[in-house]
Amino acid sequence: MADNVEAIQKSIKWYFIIGGLLIVLSGATVGLSYVELPTHSLNILVGMILATIKASMVALIFMHLSHEHSLIYKILAFTVVFAIVLFTLFIFSHEDPLIFPGFYAPVEQQ
Amino acid sequence: MDIPYTVHARPDTGLYNAKIGIWLFLASEVMLFGGLFSAYIFLRVGADYPWPVHDLDVTLGFINTVVLIASSVTVLMALACLKLRKFGWYRINMALTVLCAGVFMFNKTLEYKAKFAHYAVKLTDGTLLTGHLPHGYQVKFEGVTELALNVPLKHSAVTADPVGYVMPFIEGTAPKFKTEAGQEITLDTASFAALSAEAVKKAKEEKKGSAAIKLVATAPIKIAAKPSEIFGYTDTTITFRDGTTATGKLTDDKMTLEVDGVDARGVAQSDKSLAFDHRYLGEAWQKAFVDNRDHHIAEFEKHYPTRDKSRSATLQKESLFFKLNSATPPAEGAAHGAAHGAEAHAPAEGHGEAHAHHPTVVLEKKDFTFFSNFTPKLNTYYAIYFTLTGLHGLHVVAGALVLLYFLVFDGKRLRQDPEHLANRVEVGGLFWHFVDLVWIFLFPLLYLL
Repeated sequence: MADNVEAIQKSIKWYFIIGGLLIVLSGATVGLSYVELPTHSLNILVGMILATIKASMVALIFMHLSHEHSLIYKILAFTVVFAIVLFTLFIFSHEDPLIFPGFYAPVEQQ
Repeated sequence: MDIPYTVHARPDTGLYNAKIGIWLFLASEVMLFGGLFSAYIFLRVGADYPWPVHDLDVTLGFINTVVLIASSVTVLMALACLKLRKFGWYRINMALTVLCAGVFMFNKTLEYKAKFAHYAVKLTDGTLLTGHLPHGYQVKFEGVTELALNVPLKHSAVTADPVGYVMPFIEGTAPKFKTEAGQEITLDTASFAALSAEAVKKAKEEKKGSAAIKLVATAPIKIAAKPSEIFGYTDTTITFRDGTTATGKLTDDKMTLEVDGVDARGVAQSDKSLAFDHRYLGEAWQKAFVDNRDHHIAEFEKHYPTRDKSRSATLQKESLFFKLNSATPPAEGAAHGAAHGAEAHAPAEGHGEAHAHHPTVVLEKKDFTFFSNFTPKLNTYYAIYFTLTGLHGLHVVAGALVLLYFLVFDGKRLRQDPEHLANRVEVGGLFWHFVDLVWIFLFPLLYLL
């Protein structure tokens, strides 16, 4: 966070703008969840995109990640990689050999 | 010893120490919540029931979202005011932040309370009835005269403990029992210990694996217990969790339920659901259900003519999960509008007076296979809901306590070293924003989508 009075007053203005935007986007998320898109997966996708935008705004502006020291980015790089791995783990439950056809070669008919 | 680099940056890292500390901590917190979000995906992908969408109180959830965003702004304002040395405004903003946390937790309590008081009962045909149990639910026995206790001689998880597992469910004053030796006792810790010691001694002499004790009540006993408090029962016997068996007559295991919803998504022919049996909701409600179902299907066909009806989870819910908002079925003819209108004004779950506006049915035990309040026992959705929101709630409490500490107990530092306090508030604020960030994902995933 900047230390001179002018910069601080300028950032205060931004905090309110971002706060307002976050509330508006939350309202939009609620509204869109009642709209029937072609598939429900699409609803989830739109909702998650909105949530990611909101989360980025909080992280970049509120948590000052838009202008942070490089060491913190290095710490967070690990987090991002591990988080992505965690969110893709569920794919393994889809590829279960018991239910995934073609996992084993088909047995020849005698 | 002074802790180094609390105010100024450490030359090699370029940051004051607490800031690196909080970011390392937040990185591990992302892993913690990431693991749970991963669990959420697993549970949702593997769910064998319709995943609840819009089942929680969306208004309450949205209010909490706004409250958390507002508190995120106020904590930033507190830091900015501190840097500008406006101490009065700093205090006001910190107090507002803590207040927001209080409002958030208060709303959460309302939400949890409603879940504990609200029940779902699964009928044998797959219908799920939701509602309230005005009298709780108990299994009742009368004319119980015999207790059979069993004390295994080897160490065992189940051993007779009538004082802890039987006596609490006996109604009225403590009954008297006759032992096999003809002695008359009231069952308490001392008398049972003596009885058990004697029986064990006898069993050892006879080289048996366990000691059996038989007690005959001098007057018939009444027993009432929740099914979860006992091991099991038949028409004539009740087995307690310590293995003790009582013989008597089952008088009541019916469940009185104030029905506020019929979820027929698990039934092949929804209008033939067991819920509309003449003993339960009956024909008039069946008609209201069918009217509501057909109305929603017609609306859907009108708006989305090309869409596959069976693949719309929303339509399935709207047409087959019927909410009952009056004590009697809506009048004929008005059924369409009334059913639709009633649903739009659905009262929030579990709020006292609403109970009078639901029909009451008395379910027979043979007609339901499972019942639970809206807690982790009900399904994996409520399991992950309580895990995620519970852990998030703990973070809200912890963050608020830290900020409250800075506000109340750091007055000396505020006067003497405001720059150090500013760093502390910044670090506490970073944690607070993280809590907000988690909620940004929790709210749509649990309440909306």
